Amino acid sequence: MTRWFFFLLSIAIGAAAGLYYGWVVNPVKYLEASPGSLRADYKADFVLMTAEAYRADENLDLAVQRLSLLNDASPAESIALATVFAVKAGYGEADLALMQNLADALHSASPTQESSTP
Amino acid sequence: MKEERGPWYLFTGLMLGAVLGLVYAWFYAPVKYMDVSPASLSEANKDQYRAVISAAFAANGDLPRARARLNLLNDPDPARVLAVQAQRALAEGHPEQEVYALGLLAVSLSEGEAPPNAFPIFASSTPSLVVETATPSPEPPTATAEEQLAANPGAGTATQRPSATSMLRPMTPTPTQLPTRTATPTPGSAFVLAERTALCEITLSDPLIIINTLDAADQPVPGVEVIVSWSGGEDRLVTGLKPELGLGYGDFHMTPGTSYSVHLAEGGEMAQGLVSNECETRSGNRFWGSWSLTFSQP
Repeated sequence: MTRWFFFLLSIAIGAAAGLYYGWVVNPVKYLEASPGSLRADYKADFVLMTAEAYRADENLDLAVQRLSLLNDASPAESIALATVFAVKAGYGEADLALMQNLADALHSASPTQESSTP
Repeated sequence: MKEERGPWYLFTGLMLGAVLGLVYAWFYAPVKYMDVSPASLSEANKDQYRAVISAAFAANGDLPRARARLNLLNDPDPARVLAVQAQRALAEGHPEQEVYALGLLAVSLSEGEAPPNAFPIFASSTPSLVVETATPSPEPPTATAEEQLAANPGAGTATQRPSATSMLRPMTPTPTQLPTRTATPTPGSAFVLAERTALCEITLSDPLIIINTLDAADQPVPGVEVIVSWSGGEDRLVTGLKPELGLGYGDFHMTPGTSYSVHLAEGGEMAQGLVSNECETRSGNRFWGSWSLTFSQP
């Protein structure tokens, strides 16, 4: 019985060491990240870039396609999250207006426009 | 009879546990990096990121902002990477606007400023931007959007989150229906074939069709799409992707014996019957000649 106890204890210690090594010392490194993994400020800037381009070309399909790269629930969600961050981070009014412009365009588009993205 | 097995079972247990722990940590539940920088994106995603940066630049002409954004990707030579991507995008049939924007940013980075005639349509309709506040900061933000979301867990979709947009309502500019635009390098007159010259330049290692595009003031025009066709084939190039040779420069490698026709994608006059002629130096060395075409706006 004592023997089994120490055997299981050694497995637990080994597992703990393995987890420490795999999570802390040498974790899996992602070098192939997607835009959805970007930090909030980068995501906000990505949305701003999309809004800047949209202001010029007025291509809503292209804007939606770009926003869908962020893997949020919807493009509108991406803009909303980015806007929250932008307000908090003190983006300029012109930038906020660009994002708002894109949000408005998305909102006024047909429902299928928004639901067509994952 | 009692068997003496020693403490080896402990070692076995440790090894077994370590293997299980590593499998769990590396494969079943690996560390997830959720707040990566653009430099960690895959190559395909970096291409898309650059395309969006270029599109934004083509819209506002803000070079410092575009440069700051490109720096996030840690490309060793952003201008060259953009030029290569533009050529690849052209070859893969990406939209003309995207190719133009990539080429334009590549040229602007090389020149240190945007070409004077690069934003004929967009600039007047784009509001001025505040670079200081919107240039992405490499510093961690004081509060992330996720934290905002955590503070408002009931908000599941954008439509359930009116606060995010309603805060901005007063700043919304009056919507103005703008005319449909097409990203063309320069407005105004169509290009005409101003010059067509056979070259016998031994310094050119390969026979080339060299194209230069100029505006009415004889200034080079980048981002002009050129179509080169021959019997059984066609290729496209964009001027300005080799900024070291000129903003309106583009070239195409000829195969001796093949007759080529060249015209601009937007139409206009076509240069036909371009065949690499045999040239000879004074010392009798023979080599294949090239052609130089200049398209200009009257």
